[in-house]
Amino acid sequence: MRVRAQSPAKLSLIGGIPFGVETFSFHDLPPAGDPMLIPTLIEDMQYAGLAECEIMSGHVEPMGSYATGWWVATRRAPGYTKMREDARRWRLTVPMDYYSKIRKQFEDAGLRMYYYNVNFNETFTDEERDRTFEAARALGVDGFSSSTVLSEAKRLVPFVERHKMYVAMHNHNNLVDPEQFATPGSFETALAMSEYFKATLDIGHYVAGNNDPVAFIEKHHDRIVNIHIRDRKRNNGRNMPFGQGDTPIKEVLRLIKAKRYPIRCYIEYEYGSFQSSREEVKRCVEYCKEALAQK
Amino acid sequence: MNVCVRAATEILIACALARAQAPSTKRDAGGYPAPTAKLERGRTVYVISSCHFCHGIDLTGAAMGAADLMHLPLVGRDEDGNLIGPIVRAGLPNLQTAMPQYPDYTPQQISDLAAYVHYLRQQGRYRELTAASQDSEVGEAKAGEQYFTGIGKCNTCHSLPGDLAGVIGKYDKAALRQHLLRPGPDNAITEGASAGLASHLKLLERYSDADVQNLIAYLQAAR
Repeated sequence: MRVRAQSPAKLSLIGGIPFGVETFSFHDLPPAGDPMLIPTLIEDMQYAGLAECEIMSGHVEPMGSYATGWWVATRRAPGYTKMREDARRWRLTVPMDYYSKIRKQFEDAGLRMYYYNVNFNETFTDEERDRTFEAARALGVDGFSSSTVLSEAKRLVPFVERHKMYVAMHNHNNLVDPEQFATPGSFETALAMSEYFKATLDIGHYVAGNNDPVAFIEKHHDRIVNIHIRDRKRNNGRNMPFGQGDTPIKEVLRLIKAKRYPIRCYIEYEYGSFQSSREEVKRCVEYCKEALAQK
Repeated sequence: MNVCVRAATEILIACALARAQAPSTKRDAGGYPAPTAKLERGRTVYVISSCHFCHGIDLTGAAMGAADLMHLPLVGRDEDGNLIGPIVRAGLPNLQTAMPQYPDYTPQQISDLAAYVHYLRQQGRYRELTAASQDSEVGEAKAGEQYFTGIGKCNTCHSLPGDLAGVIGKYDKAALRQHLLRPGPDNAITEGASAGLASHLKLLERYSDADVQNLIAYLQAAR
């Protein structure tokens, strides 16, 4: 099936850098499968002044992300096996126009989904992996962003090569499990597996793992498709309002601007607040505007 | 004190407390405001620390592999943050997605946070244990007796031929369950509660579904 690319959308540029949002940031959306989820997400993006996003599978599929096997703890929950099988059956049978209708909702609003955030893991069958790549084409995204592990990356090599679509590895900060993406070495191991493997560098998690995002971006800018902007403290420290943690947000943004790296910068709001998510995402955007406006 | 008088006193105290600390009903991104100053401080710690994004605003819908605080036995055993506090301060760096550490939290913040988690858990477990689906389950009276005289320590305050005589027969199964779980007003909270009500609220966090079914079977068999 051939699917046309998404039509051009307005860019939300700040200092010449395309900004967007990881849709996880909107914590108060309707639940998975609710027909108002996508319209609300679109409204929230427009409110925050952001024209593009990395959309979570839990915001596309009618089952929550927990049903798709990424969270190891969830696999021990009662009813998980059936839930996972139901999710697989849905993926293998849903018509592709389910996804293209979502794409149209974004297009009609002048917005764009650039990345599909799917957390590939060993509970996927090969058929399900293939089908998920087809879903991404129907959504019109450029590629995937994925919280995954190195052993799954090995399994994905023939899929990215066959579908000619990239998967960008997203890091957390688990420094104990060598399977996890958290260090420069874990990224470099995956990047060496295929030219279709890229990086979604979460600069806040990276700092919480006591790594230096500026150094990583300088070294691997040609393989980074986007960054997640959050502010965490070092040593597995907490999420903080932008500017209050240890993450060098300003330095990173100014580096990307100065060097004109083609890296998209996506807000990920996860510090706590009594305000709505869209208010906080907007606040994060304002911080980035100020950071890039300063000399 | 006669059990009826004691129960009535508990209810009056709890109602007065609830009136004095009547919460605003306006919901914000961190849920509903809590009914007392201590619990509201705890809610602030819970929300500003972004606990709710993983553990759920009301402890339901835990996400991202986070612990289900509504049912985790450790939370039921916690006393004023003695078990919750060390985990919050140290974080859980080995988890698939590490739980951040909060090393700078004061004993007061930990106490407030723990109180709020217990409050949410009591509200949630009461809803779960009084759900209509529970009515169709039948427990084992013998197991209920063992709980009553054993781990539940119900017999340290109650006895079937004593304070409970004539009380049990007044209730149908659903009402008996409600009274057993929370012998006070709907918004009963541990803070300021009598020792009796506080014990029931603590038990409310520790009962399994089967424990409650068994206790009801035991009490009904004694009619």
